[in-house]
Amino acid sequence: MPRAPETPRGGPGPWRRLAFRTRLWAKRARIVGVRVARLVRTGMQRLWPGILYLLRAVQRKWRRSLQFRTVLTTLMLAMGSFAVVGAYLSNQIANNLFQERLAQAESETRYNVKQVQDTFDGAQVTDQSSVITLVYDTLNAVEGRGSVIQRRYVFEAMPEQTKPRNRWVESRASDQLTIGVIPPDLRKAVQESGKDQYWASTQFPVGTEDRPGIAVGNKVTFNGTVYELYLIYDLNTAQKTLDEIQNVLLAGGALLVLMIGGVAWYVTRNVVSPVSHAAVVSEKLAAGQLQERMVVKGEDEVARLGASFNHMAASLQEQITQLATLSQMQQRFVSDVSHELRTPLTTVRMAAEVLYDAREDFDPINKRSAELLYNQVERFQSLLADLLEISRFDAGAATLDAEPTDIVQLVAHVIEGVAPVAAEYGSAVTLNAPAGSVIVDMDDRRIDRILRNLILNALEHGEGRPVNVSVAASGTAVAVAVRDHGIGMTPAEAARVFDRFWRADPARARTTGGSGLGLSIAAEDTKLHDGWLQAWGSKGQGSNFRLTLPLRRDEPITRSPLQLEPVNVGLPEAGRQRTVVLLDPLRTAGRGTGVEGSADGFSDGFDDDFSDDGGSGAAGGAIPDGGSAGPRGTGTEGRA
Amino acid sequence: MKARILVVDDDEALAEMIGIVLRNDGFEPVFCADGAQALDVFRSSKPDLVLLDLMLPGMDGIEVCRQVRAESDVPIVMLTAKADTSDVVRGLESGADDYVPKPFKPAELVARVRARLRPGDQKAPETLRIADVTIDVAGHLVSRGNDRISLTPLEFDLLVALARKPWQVFTRELLLEQVWGYRHAADTRLVNVHVQRLRSKIERDPEAPEVVLTVRGVGYKAGS
Repeated sequence: MPRAPETPRGGPGPWRRLAFRTRLWAKRARIVGVRVARLVRTGMQRLWPGILYLLRAVQRKWRRSLQFRTVLTTLMLAMGSFAVVGAYLSNQIANNLFQERLAQAESETRYNVKQVQDTFDGAQVTDQSSVITLVYDTLNAVEGRGSVIQRRYVFEAMPEQTKPRNRWVESRASDQLTIGVIPPDLRKAVQESGKDQYWASTQFPVGTEDRPGIAVGNKVTFNGTVYELYLIYDLNTAQKTLDEIQNVLLAGGALLVLMIGGVAWYVTRNVVSPVSHAAVVSEKLAAGQLQERMVVKGEDEVARLGASFNHMAASLQEQITQLATLSQMQQRFVSDVSHELRTPLTTVRMAAEVLYDAREDFDPINKRSAELLYNQVERFQSLLADLLEISRFDAGAATLDAEPTDIVQLVAHVIEGVAPVAAEYGSAVTLNAPAGSVIVDMDDRRIDRILRNLILNALEHGEGRPVNVSVAASGTAVAVAVRDHGIGMTPAEAARVFDRFWRADPARARTTGGSGLGLSIAAEDTKLHDGWLQAWGSKGQGSNFRLTLPLRRDEPITRSPLQLEPVNVGLPEAGRQRTVVLLDPLRTAGRGTGVEGSADGFSDGFDDDFSDDGGSGAAGGAIPDGGSAGPRGTGTEGRA
Repeated sequence: MKARILVVDDDEALAEMIGIVLRNDGFEPVFCADGAQALDVFRSSKPDLVLLDLMLPGMDGIEVCRQVRAESDVPIVMLTAKADTSDVVRGLESGADDYVPKPFKPAELVARVRARLRPGDQKAPETLRIADVTIDVAGHLVSRGNDRISLTPLEFDLLVALARKPWQVFTRELLLEQVWGYRHAADTRLVNVHVQRLRSKIERDPEAPEVVLTVRGVGYKAGS
């Protein structure tokens, strides 16, 4: 089968086919594009909010659902794969269909051209009408018999023939066709060749539409005149078949993709649902529903996961129950010890006091013994009380009994209570409470204990210098700072000051007979209030303990109304004044200078110490604690 | 006449010690070491005051307290080893007037006893009103309309203290001083519990009190 080489002149070939297909697809794409564009335009106008909502919902679903993500990914990948496979299949089928039709066209043409040539060669006609009749009849026979035209023809005398020629028949073509239907390249190839047969893809008009077709060209000779004879085969049926196949492919593909999506959904549901079940169950577990378990079915990996999850939950439950039991046991133990120890201690204490009261009647040895007994029983009692208190905290048995109370009044009350001790140390205790009264949700017994501890501690380490207590409030928190100007402490010591039984200097005699648990208990009490208890210290310049409490139980503290580190750490000049200063907070709400007694001079100087610390500001006007770790960075968090 | 005091405590040493201290201060102690017999001893000895340990063999101190309170207004002071709030509150709610936490000092115990035994001042005939409640001070009677309301002496004193100065807000400390007679008593829970008990008796709706009002952050005052 002679085939033209693929050259520009050769015209026919894959190149043309491709061009033709491209045009066809481009047309389809344009139609689809226009429709889509119209849809999108109206959609934008009417459905934009809905689409946005949908997009967001899909996005959320994508983020939160593994199953959705898996199914969607599977669908996308399946669609992509199917597009590739579909394109390949469609291309192959189109190619095969075309090749088949082409082979048929070529062989039919060869046969028909031979028939035509034979008819022409054997014709014995000379007059014009019979020549015309012969040619026309012959050519009409080419179209085939029956109602369906099997092939069309274009018959044209080759141009530029110098030889004598048939002048009666110049050109002839099937209905609606002209020589223009034949691609110039094909004509050129036919004209320039010898006896070869050429083909090319083309389009020809049938009725009102253009149909794809194959034109096969040959030369025939009639009475010495050379004609080009092109037979044109209709590809419409092949195209229709191809379209149908493509539709089937498309429908099948869509169905397949949907089924794959369904399968993916089913499979992932099987895998994911135990996982999400586990998530739900573990959330419940975390929320304290310890009896919650997973449902275990079968023996696969998921079942193993469920089983081991349940195992974990069971051991967790067991341990938590055990801990709770232990805590309860300890609580009961503490309570029992408390009772068992207190009763004999009460007897001892009463007896000691009876002896102590009668000591004047004793000889010196017995008298001293009675005094020692009395004092040490007191000390033993306070130590026992502190120990029991600490173990109550450790057992988690401490409860907060909070109600709204005026903390300024409480502070004044505590200062009044420690006045004898202050007098003993020779320290002045001043109160600086510009707010006048601050109502705080608190357990006043505990806060009383904290403040008493802080002030006694300050007196003990204050070396007879004044101790200043400041109270300031903000919208959400209240702070009480207890500042002494005594021996102070290093940052390292400040960090350990809330540790149990910790002493800054073990060699230093403990004069107030404290148990060494006072500040630890204060820290625990503060923790119970969701408050902060912090210490600042500087060697030789005293220390500052700051208690910060939330005004209301449900509002956490964000910053303390008082600064932990004093602005001016120096000791006021007149600091050695040996006067106990008690302030009535209600009468001296403005500035803490309305001092009873004769401590005016030192008190002024003292206030300067705190004047930038919110001391003289209005309620809540205190400078917020911007950074408790100042230049020295010695502020330390208590266990609060 | 010496005031007779019933000491209900199972710890013999402590009971004896308490006896010594009480005798020393001019009281006449009577002892009972078993909760189950406490009520019988109480009936036979007719004490002026009961000192009651909370943990007792035979019968719980709280139960004893409830039974004694059911038949008498005699002041009851609890001796508690447990300083836990819940125990103290439970004891006060069962009818005790006061409590002394162990370990206590002899002086402390005696002070509490004396405070509770404080002879009622010879009250002048006086009628007070709070809201719709009438108080006959001399007759020790409280009534709403024709209904008599039965109060313990302590609750009565509390109500009278509030009613005498209806314009004043009483802090818990002030009430402790005026009603209990303590100058430096620490525990204001006494006041809370007794106010609650008083309310449960005289308020129409203890959840929405009209007679004894709470002043947030300060204390209590009489209703108008």
